[in-house]
Parts: sequence; structure tokens; C-alpha cells
Amino acid sequence: MDFEQLWQTALGEIELQISRPNYLTWLKHSKLVDKQEGIALVSLPNNFAKEWVENKYQKIILSALRNLDDSTKKIQFTVNNRPVQLNSSRKGRPDPKATQLIFEELKVDPETNLNPRYILNSFIVGKSNELAYAAAAAVVEEIGRKYNPLFIYGGVGLGKTHLIQGIGNEIKNKYQNNVRVKYVPSEKFTNDVIAGIRNKRMEDMKEKYRNVDVLIIDDIQFISGKEATEEEFFHTFNTLYENNKQIIISSDRPPKFLPTLHERLQSRFEGGMKADVGYPDYELRLAILKTKLQERGEELPENILELIANKIQKNLRELEGVLNQAIFHKHARNNITLKVVEEIVEETIQQPTKNINPNQVIKAVADYFQVSPNDLVGRCRQKSIVGPRQIAMYLLREILGLSYPDIGQKLGKRDHTTAIYAFTKLSEEINRNQDLNQKVIAIKDLVYKE
Amino acid sequence: MKLVVLKNNLKDGLNAVERASSENSNLPILKNVLIKTFNNKIQLSATNLELAITKFIFGKIIEEGSLTVPLNTLLTITNNINNEKINLESENNVLTFKTDNYEAKIQGLPEEEFPIIPKLENTDNYLQLSSEILKSSLLKVINSIQLSEIRPEIGGVLLDFQMTNLKLVGTDSFRLAEKTITERDFKSNFSKGFKIILPLKTAQEILRIMNGETISVFNDANQVLFKNEELEVISRLISGNYPDYEQIIPKLMETEIILEREHLISAVKLVSTFSNKTNDIKGVLKEGKKSLEVYSSNQYLGENRYLVPVKSKGPGFEVAFNWRYLMDGLKNLEAKEIVLGINGDVRPAVLKNPNDPSYFYILMPIKGS
Repeated sequence: MDFEQLWQTALGEIELQISRPNYLTWLKHSKLVDKQEGIALVSLPNNFAKEWVENKYQKIILSALRNLDDSTKKIQFTVNNRPVQLNSSRKGRPDPKATQLIFEELKVDPETNLNPRYILNSFIVGKSNELAYAAAAAVVEEIGRKYNPLFIYGGVGLGKTHLIQGIGNEIKNKYQNNVRVKYVPSEKFTNDVIAGIRNKRMEDMKEKYRNVDVLIIDDIQFISGKEATEEEFFHTFNTLYENNKQIIISSDRPPKFLPTLHERLQSRFEGGMKADVGYPDYELRLAILKTKLQERGEELPENILELIANKIQKNLRELEGVLNQAIFHKHARNNITLKVVEEIVEETIQQPTKNINPNQVIKAVADYFQVSPNDLVGRCRQKSIVGPRQIAMYLLREILGLSYPDIGQKLGKRDHTTAIYAFTKLSEEINRNQDLNQKVIAIKDLVYKE
Repeated sequence: MKLVVLKNNLKDGLNAVERASSENSNLPILKNVLIKTFNNKIQLSATNLELAITKFIFGKIIEEGSLTVPLNTLLTITNNINNEKINLESENNVLTFKTDNYEAKIQGLPEEEFPIIPKLENTDNYLQLSSEILKSSLLKVINSIQLSEIRPEIGGVLLDFQMTNLKLVGTDSFRLAEKTITERDFKSNFSKGFKIILPLKTAQEILRIMNGETISVFNDANQVLFKNEELEVISRLISGNYPDYEQIIPKLMETEIILEREHLISAVKLVSTFSNKTNDIKGVLKEGKKSLEVYSSNQYLGENRYLVPVKSKGPGFEVAFNWRYLMDGLKNLEAKEIVLGINGDVRPAVLKNPNDPSYFYILMPIKGS
């Protein structure tokens, strides 16, 4: 007889001995949760029930259980403190406050920290992200064994967070509560380390992160250079790794380009599976736009979608942003034209250029490659200088939109055709060469930081 | 049991425990109050099985004993008699209530049928603070909370005790308030922090009845006890994890404006007259201007606008809020001058006192108006 049958039979007997209202109030939601060495553990819904049953029905329950199983010697009671399950399936509920915005972050499951919005099924796969997606799917199948750690990297707004949170949600659905998943942006990890140090609760923090089966860390690049955090992460990583727990990491660049990250961490990241999420090609962008429209039950003319997909190339968040604005215009004015969308697109593509001057760009490039700015603007034609100089030309055009003659002038009084050549060459190469792309992103970071 | 009590003492005691009693068809005794002699005091207790309130009052005890009687009946007659002294006597489950010129016999039930009020497993660790500070802090976060069936874990006040400070947080997912009580204002011997969620109803009762100098707070896995010399409030805690609300707090503010609180309150009060069912009013600040325009319109009534002088930093904006939510936040602040931080029309805005980092109120805008 299992616990449930045993308890149901015992309850049948107990019910006869106490009044109906008392039975309903105190014992209706009781359960037999454990039985060891003659001690039966009964859980009750609240403390009042515990006090009452302990004081009044102990004997009745004991004799009822003894009749069924004479090894029972003693009964202990506990309060069933079941955590509240988030009920996210009530989508159809009409919301009277449709226009009042809510804190989206509150929808996040506090247990796992995952946002239920991100699911693997809605992740759209194309050439640029199929490897990453395949690795993600494999991790869901074989947690902790096949690809560990899984390291996903790629630029801003290309779907890294969607993918890794999607893995988390998929695992949670598939294995229900048997697998403990935890998602954490690295900034939150840092904050927890700080809070742990401040409140002398470092043990809690260690327990929180080491007591999981799948740990997902987003934007790991932010912990590099923060020593205590790196140290703590290193130990957490090792503990989990040695116990065959799955670790999933995302970053905006590959491990070896995380400049200040400790070597021992870098080499650990290199040891697992690395997959990049690249810039989406035109077809993927169009597919994403169409899916988003469908999700919202909206429609837009094909030529407008093509325009958006064509113009917004490097950031899926921007892609969605433009789409949202286009839908908004459609509703607000009951009409949407190609021209309006063109304006929206133009507005979105423009970079914040306010406080950046050409010298800052040149200096950033020089700093990154550890050459002197004077060499860059000089006449030297060594290979080690020519490469960086071309990147500088590319960036002056891309970030500041300088004219070609102007760029040529600034970098050693060169001809405008040299600048055109450099820009065209790099624009093409960046899409093919991930390595170069990472370098350019890192330099841009330097530029914007200053 | 045989007692003599003063009318006011009995009245105060019954009022304090009143809201913990409840109608329950399975357990009708829950609408009763337990009257019991205890350590030369008279104990009054009521409970709804989630919350139990016990109040000790003074009186002359002639004979020890206990009985439970319907709370409402006892309270009504206590409120309406004119005499100072009341004699209470129990015999065979009947309570005789007697003054010089009035006598009532109330049918009761024995104490043995009344729920046993649970004890905490551990009362060694305590947190002590003044009731004024606890109450004024609760008051600043409680109006942001609404009971929710879908999200029971935000239907209460988060008490986040972190050794060096105690944070109180309330939210209904449209706005959120956080108040920090610092080390200076409490005493504690906990060796590590804890996070508990206090049910809204319990918080409301504490606001209503707690008084006196110091309150001690004790807790275990699923209960919390608030206690002073004469009152004990024991309550279940909401189980589940409170959301990680810190992610919501804006770290930077796009536009910051400083303005007089009273001025904005009158603006909101006045302008809201024209707002429609969604309660929306709009705030508009033009780049470089020195006044905030508060505006609302309604297609049936018309429109109105109010100019509030401000000092501003950052770009202009146009954003709509539910004026009731805005008003709640404004009322929770006490300062003469306040900061309103705006982050565009879809991200949360912040209200705070520029000289007091211990409190902030954030709220989400209304979209598309």
C-alpha cells in the first residue's frame, strides 16, 4: 500500500470518530508524506490545523494507522508550505486596463528567473543561427552531458537571450519540476555577490547558485574585471561542472576576446561547445517580421515588410521596434504608406553621434591595436598599420558618416578612393569574418565608452 | 469565570481583535471571541485561521475561567451601554453581562472548541522597532498593493531583512513602492537576513491596532508574530517567492524635474476632473520650458490644462499616467519639493524626495493616448 492509499483508508476510519465540520476544517487537505522507522509524518495545510490535530486527534489518528499497519509507533505533523505556482496560462482573460502598462519583469518566474515569453518554438532559425539552435536543442535532450558548457555569442539584439531563456523554459516544461533551472544576467550575479558580502549571507548565495541542475548566465562579458565576482563564478562553475550540471553562457564575443577575463575561466569556456549567433540574412529577417505580425494578428503590405527587412540589418530589436511603430501608425492614422515607414527606418538607423569626434575614433583604433595614432595618420605602409588604418576609415564612415575625401584627408592626406576602397572591403568582410566583426564591435565599445 | 472590567477597556480590546474573527460555515465558532483569564489579565482572542489577534486588558478577576461568545453581539452591547463598570460571569456556557441597570445572557461555546492559537517554533531571534516607524513605513507601501488571485505572492508586503537594513516593498504590477528602514531604527539578534511576504490583511490590521513604543517581530518558516506588551498578532505568511523586483527600478533617469509636491497634487486633483474611464492624465514638458503642463480631455466634457513650475534636466517629454496611481505616490511622499523622473512614455517613472534616499515610488505610464 502506498502512502496515499494508506492515508485514505485511515481517514475513512478517522472520519467516523469526529464530527463532519471538524473533519472538513482540519483534515480535509491532510496528507501522509513520509513514514520511516514507525514514525509517520502527516502534513497539514496551516499552523492552526497542526496545533489542533496535534492536541486533539493524535490518538485517533495513531490508532487508525496502527490498525492498518502495526509498525506505526508515533506521528509527527508538519505544515505543508507549498510554494505558489505561477499560473501563466490565463491569457484569454479580458483585461480592463488594457492601456495601463505593467512591469513586464514581474511576469518572470521568481523561482527560475525565466521570462515565460521566450520559448524555443518561437525562435526563428536561419543560416546565421542554425548551429546555435541545434546545440540548444541538443542540450535540452541531454542535459549536462553533450555540450557543457554551452557558450553562445553574438552581437546585440540577435536573439541570444531568447535562445538561452528558451532552453531554460523548454527544460522546465519537459522535465517539470525534476530539473532545477536558474537564469541570471551576470549583472544580477554581481549584485548577489555584493549583497552576500554586505549581509554576511555568502552561504545563501553559494547555495542558491550551486543547488541547480541548469545554470544560465547571460552577458558574461560584464563580469570580466570584477574580481570577487569572477572568483565566485569560477567556483560556482567548477562545482556545477564537476557534478555534470549543465551550464549555459552567453556573451557578445567569443571567450578569447573577453579581454580582462581570467585565463582559467577563458579556457573553461573554450572547453565546451561554442556557437555563434550571426547577423540574420534578408530571408531570416523577413521571416521574423512575418512571424511577429502573425503573433499579433496584424497585417502589413508586403512591400513595407520588404523595406524594413532590407534596411534594418544588424539588430532584431530594432527590427521589432520599427515593426511596432509601423503597426501603431497603421492604427492611429488608419493608413500606412511606404514613405512613413521610410521615415521611421531612417530615424531608427541613426546612431547617437553627438559627442564623438574623429580623433576619438582614431585614438580608439590605435589603442585597440596598440599602435600610435601618429602612425595611423602617417605615411607608413606596413601591414600592421594598414589593417588598423582601414578599420579606422570604415568606422569614421560608419559611426560619423564623414565624406570619403574628408576621411582620406584625416588619415594621412590620402585620396578619397582609398577611403572608398577600405569601406567597401571591410563592409563585405565583416559579414564573412566573425573575428574581424568582434574586433570592430570591441572598438566601437571603446569609442562609445569615452 | 467572574470578572469586573471597565467599559472602555473591554471596548478597546474587542475592537482590536474584531477583524480577525470571521464567518465560516464549517466552523461557526470562528465568529466568537475567546475570553480567558491569564496571568492576572484578561485575554481576548479572535482568529480566522489565517490571522489571530490576542489583546490583554486589565480588569478585576474574581474567579478564573474561560468562555467564547459571539464577538459582534458582545461588541454591540458594550458600545451601547452607559455604565462604566461591567460584570461578566460565565456558567454552563452562558455569559452573563451585567451593569447597574442592564443584564444580558449570551449563549457561548467552551474554549475547548475554539482553535488553538499556534506558537512559533523559535522566538529567540527577534527584530525590534518602534511602532511609529513600522506603521509609517507600511503606510507608504501598502496603497500599491492589490489582492490578486493569479499572483498571490504580490498580494502582500515584502519584508526583506538584510542585517543592515529592512526593506518594505509593495506592488500591484502597475506601480511599486519601496521603503528602507536603516540599522539606526531597529534592534535585532538575527544572525542572517530573511525575506517574508506579509498578507495584505495582516498589514492592514497592524496599521489599525498596533500602538505602544516597541514592537517585536518573530518569524519561522510559515508564520510571523508581531508583539508588544498588550497585543499579539500572529499570521500565516504568503508562500512562494517574491518577484525579483529590483530589475524594475530604473537606474538612470532620462528627464528629471524638481517641483513642489503640493502644487502637483492640486494640479492632478483639478485636471483629473476631465479624465475619462481609464483615469489618464497627461504630463507634457517642452524642451527648455520651465513649466510642466498637466492635461486631460474627455470627448463629452471637454479639456483642461494646468501649468506647474518646474526645474528640469534632460529632454522634453509627453507621457500619460493613471492619475489615481500618481496621486497615491504623491501622497506617500512628505517632502515639500520632490523629484519626478521620467523615462519616455513606455518605461517606468520615479517619484522620490531628493533629500531622502530611503523611499521611492515607481509607476508605469498609460500607453497610446
